[in-house]
Amino acid sequence: MATQIVMDQTGDTRHEFDPGNAEALARAERRFRELTGAGFTAALRTGPGEVTRIRSFDPTAQETLFYPRLVGG
Amino acid sequence: MIAAVWLRAPARARLHALRELYRRFFGENTPDARGRRLLAEWLSPAQRAQFEQHRYFDVVGCDTGRIYRIHYGTAANVHEIDGEGHATMGWCFVPSGFLVPGDVMLAQKIALETDERGALALANRFPPATHSEHFYRRPF
Repeated sequence: MATQIVMDQTGDTRHEFDPGNAEALARAERRFRELTGAGFTAALRTGPGEVTRIRSFDPTAQETLFYPRLVGG
Repeated sequence: MIAAVWLRAPARARLHALRELYRRFFGENTPDARGRRLLAEWLSPAQRAQFEQHRYFDVVGCDTGRIYRIHYGTAANVHEIDGEGHATMGWCFVPSGFLVPGDVMLAQKIALETDERGALALANRFPPATHSEHFYRRPF
C-alpha cells in the first residue's frame, strides 16, 4: 500500500491506496494534482531524514507528504 | 477520620490511574502528538536525537550550506546559526493554515533542505534574541 499524507489541522490525514489498482492510482494522481494545484508542496522520503520535492505524480512513491503553501510569518 | 481518608485513598488512586490512562490514550491521538510523530518519522536519526534532547534540530540549507536551527514552535522558531551554535538571524516562514508545531517544523525542514532560497525569499527576518532559550523549552 502507498500513502499520501496531507498536513492539516488534525495533524495529518492519510490516504492509502494500492498502486496496483488502476482506479486507486488514478484517484491518487487526481488528489496529487488537486493538492499541488491548490499550492501544496509534495515531498518524498528518499532515505532516513532525506527528502526531495516532486512536481509531478510518481506512481512508484510509497509515501508522499503534502504541506500547504509557505508564507512569511 | 483516618479511616475515611484510608478508605478514600484507593478510590483516588484508581481515579488517578484512570485519568492517566485517558491522558495517554487521547494524548497520543491529539493533533499535537500526531504532528510530533510525523515529524519524528521524517527526521534523520541525528536530527531526531537532537530534537528529543533539546527540542530543536539543525538542518543544512541546500543552496548555501548554512545551518538553521528549527525550534519547537509554530512561528519565529527558525534561527540561522554560526559554527559555534549561536543564532545570527531569525527567519519566520510557516505553512499557511493553523498547523501544529510538528507539522510546521517538518515543512520548514523540507523547505530549507530542498528550496532554501525560495523559503528565505518569502520569510520575514527577525533579531535572533527575540525569544530566550527558555521560551523554546516549555513542555510539550
